Amino acid sequence: MKKFVALVGTNTVKSTNRKLLKYMQKRYAEDAEIEVVELKGLPIFKKTEEVFIPQQARDIAEKIDASDGVIIGTPEYDHSIPALLSSALAWLSYGIHPLMDKPVMIVGTSYGTLGASRAQAQLRQILDSPELKATVLPSSEFLLGHSLQAFDENGDLVSATESQKLDGLFDDFLEFVALTEQLDNSKKLHEQEAANFTWDNGTTGDDK
Amino acid sequence: MVKLVAIAGSIGEQSYNRMLLEFIRDHFKKTVDIEILDINDVPMFNEDEDHNDNPVVHELARKISGANGVILATPEHNHTVPAAMKNIIEWLSNNVHPLDGKAVWIVGASYHTQGSSRAQLHLKQILESPGVNAYVMPGNEFLLSNAKEAFDADGNLKDARTVSFLESVLKKFLTFMKVIEMMDAPDPKNAHEEDMDSKHPVNTTVQDVDMTDPEWVEKAAEKTHAASGGDYVKLDRGLLTVDQLNYFLNSMAGELTFADDNNQFIYYNHNADGAHMLAGRTPDQVGDPLSAVHPDRVVEHVKQVLYALRTGESDVVSMPAQTGPNQHVMHYYRAMRDENRRYRGVNELVIDIMPILKYYLAATGQKLVKDPDAVPMSPITGLDAVTGASAHSTPATDATSGASASKSAEKPVEKPATDATSGASESSSEAAPAAAEEPVDTDALTGASEETTTDYTATEDSAPAKQPEVKPEPEATDTDATTGASQS
Repeated sequence: MKKFVALVGTNTVKSTNRKLLKYMQKRYAEDAEIEVVELKGLPIFKKTEEVFIPQQARDIAEKIDASDGVIIGTPEYDHSIPALLSSALAWLSYGIHPLMDKPVMIVGTSYGTLGASRAQAQLRQILDSPELKATVLPSSEFLLGHSLQAFDENGDLVSATESQKLDGLFDDFLEFVALTEQLDNSKKLHEQEAANFTWDNGTTGDDK
Repeated sequence: MVKLVAIAGSIGEQSYNRMLLEFIRDHFKKTVDIEILDINDVPMFNEDEDHNDNPVVHELARKISGANGVILATPEHNHTVPAAMKNIIEWLSNNVHPLDGKAVWIVGASYHTQGSSRAQLHLKQILESPGVNAYVMPGNEFLLSNAKEAFDADGNLKDARTVSFLESVLKKFLTFMKVIEMMDAPDPKNAHEEDMDSKHPVNTTVQDVDMTDPEWVEKAAEKTHAASGGDYVKLDRGLLTVDQLNYFLNSMAGELTFADDNNQFIYYNHNADGAHMLAGRTPDQVGDPLSAVHPDRVVEHVKQVLYALRTGESDVVSMPAQTGPNQHVMHYYRAMRDENRRYRGVNELVIDIMPILKYYLAATGQKLVKDPDAVPMSPITGLDAVTGASAHSTPATDATSGASASKSAEKPVEKPATDATSGASESSSEAAPAAAEEPVDTDALTGASEETTTDYTATEDSAPAKQPEVKPEPEATDTDATTGASQS
């Protein structure tokens, strides 16, 4: 059975993204083991002279390393991903590279109609950066709008249309994970680039 | 001088973006006053937490609110803005919105060739989201690439062309800022369109506090974290604490009232209770829209005064209120304008000029006699240009807060002003076009006796001995107790 790490992109107790990830954990329990991981408590990313990575970030990195893929649930703050999630991704690419070539599925909820569409688009760009280089499930958007009304008291999605859409995307993600295991031609190059990367000299990647 | 605040987006030890801001600050210090804000101690944003608990966020919000514009310098981390930069924007778009309507200039320095282009683009998107609602200067990208080699040992940019480009962009930003500051200026098409209900907030309007709340001052002060008591305020030209500013304003030789460009009554120098004022105001009225402090019948007249000042047709409108043998109260309405010449409200001074007149006559040994050749004039000045008619068609005594009139039932307020206004409006209907031939003298306003209120001409009395007092020698008389000393 596949093992996935699900990152909750926000620290608020009332997060509907957490709800969505927990719903996925329950609903797909037979297909995958999903561990919902909190980012709350991570400090704001900061470069220091001596590279220092907080223990919480190291723990998350280890879990990701040991997983087959990552699911990120993000809300949208100011048309963008929360600073907390941005910080987490910065820590997870600061001398360590747990997300490199890791399959990633993005989901997002919002109170309004748009379901974090802009944040998701930015997140794709971020995950594609040379220090992260995750492999994001293409052509897949799960944008859950009006998320406060979207769940019943058992934490299940009220709308059958939405749950069917999510089922389809999750099946795709499972196949995508299997597929990416074969995409190893550029893997060595990515690893080499990441190893060569320093904040002072930049990357050998697309910046040049 | 124009005041900007600047924030470097990364909180790392070595920041070329901070160096860039320091260079801009130092190099252009004769043009703009730039303060670089520190964001190192801002905690991670959490929407469950109340920002009011956090003094660092407060201070940031206060400084940004007080600035004419903002410069953000962003590096690029993982194709986006650093989390530290995004984090402060989240705090500043949740409970407080100091960036709302603010002009922002984005610059960026990076180690590489592409100079934070993606981060700048993301930052632009973030700043334009509805919760932030800043005005980002379009075009004019300033991307400093290869930042490591760009500065000399003193922190100056080495390349002269880069410096001159930076200068040209800064110039454009200063213009952009002016344009942005004008954007929310109310623009009524005629006097009738003046919004007496204050429904067009300007960039100084305190949002989400009920204007008619009797405790508007307290609530709005809390909302804006207003300076008070011993806090220092930098002024043009001087430095006072809020207490000192109050001592100063409350001891003015007249009653002062401030109504802003949204026609909201936001200040008066409170040194007496309403009953003892020439134009009564009460503390609970402050914050009211002008419509709430004027009776309906004078509203159109008040609008004419406001419109004349707003459009620059007049700089001052003056009109008499209570007049009599021992009193001649004048209301002076002056337009206040900012450095861009934008109208920022009306400054109303209510003052009894009779003591001044009496002093003058006594000091120069003169007395008043009636002038048989006097050319009749309107007692109201500054409105002709707008109305095209003589002033007595528009006597809107107490244009800023004729508080008196509307709340007179409950409040101790100036009766005479109310009478004056209504009395004058009545006369206006017949007299308007024929103003010149049929002058309405001050009697029309108050019914005061003729001897004391008709046109005056001062004539010299036979008292030459008193003459020197008109122009006293500096040594002889202490003309300027506070500053004269240094000159003599």
